[in-house]
Amino acid sequence: MKLINKRNFISIVCIFFTLITCGKLLYERALNFTDRYYTDNIFTILGFSVLITLILSLHFYLQKFPFWLVIIAQYALTVGIVFLAIFIHGRFSTNAPTAYWDMFVSITIPFLIGALVYYICFFVQIKRANKVLEKLNSEE
Amino acid sequence: MKLIKTREENLEENYLELHYDKIDEETNAVLDRLRDTLRYIEGTYEDKKVTIALTDIFYIETVDRKTFAYTKDMSVEIKEALKDILEEYSKIGFVRISKSVIVNIFKIKKLQGDINMRVIIFLKNDEKLIMNRSYKNDFYKRLNDLKGRSAK
Repeated sequence: MKLINKRNFISIVCIFFTLITCGKLLYERALNFTDRYYTDNIFTILGFSVLITLILSLHFYLQKFPFWLVIIAQYALTVGIVFLAIFIHGRFSTNAPTAYWDMFVSITIPFLIGALVYYICFFVQIKRANKVLEKLNSEE
Repeated sequence: MKLIKTREENLEENYLELHYDKIDEETNAVLDRLRDTLRYIEGTYEDKKVTIALTDIFYIETVDRKTFAYTKDMSVEIKEALKDILEEYSKIGFVRISKSVIVNIFKIKKLQGDINMRVIIFLKNDEKLIMNRSYKNDFYKRLNDLKGRSAK
């Protein structure tokens, strides 16, 4: 079953966009930081949300490969595309000195959180299923 | 409708007996489920025709376009395709776990996750099967349906 499909693609992009923007705003508020490139960054987040949803939607087609290999490959692909975009952007305009580092952190943290949530859900599902099996077996 | 269970020692085979005046809706529903559960399937084992109860099957696998049903001590070649078996018998506990394997949920001892996030299925005959990630959600849904049904 495809978790990300044509029907829910836009809504998943919107969820990513909202979560990342809220995280950014809270982080800036906590540090009392004013973002001078606010508009640029908002559109970067939108682009990043579309990209990450696209890459995660590939997960369905990569089921036969080991999970961790798929996650690492998807992470590397995302980092690669974003770094390439920063590099191309730098050709036409000036990048912030910490552009690469900032984007690296922006990609790594959501990926780590996502992988952790998936990992926890995976084992919770198995635990629940074992309880159901136990119940079914005890009824026999 | 009442259910009375009576344990009898040294019984050759378990049996169900229905006492009724009129078969009402509830009884009919129970009979429908029993008819499904007590179904048999034909196949060949060591060049002989055999009939096996669906409830005795642990899992069904397709190998080189041939379909085999595995019981405790036999692997019986059957004519039905996996797709047809699923269509007909999914409500009695058969669920797909990979492109070529269907498992009988009632023959599963437990599940275990491995480092590659694959689900390993331990059967009651001590065999192990691997569940493909793409069939995981359907499997859990089916399991919960059976849980809901048994709770009724």
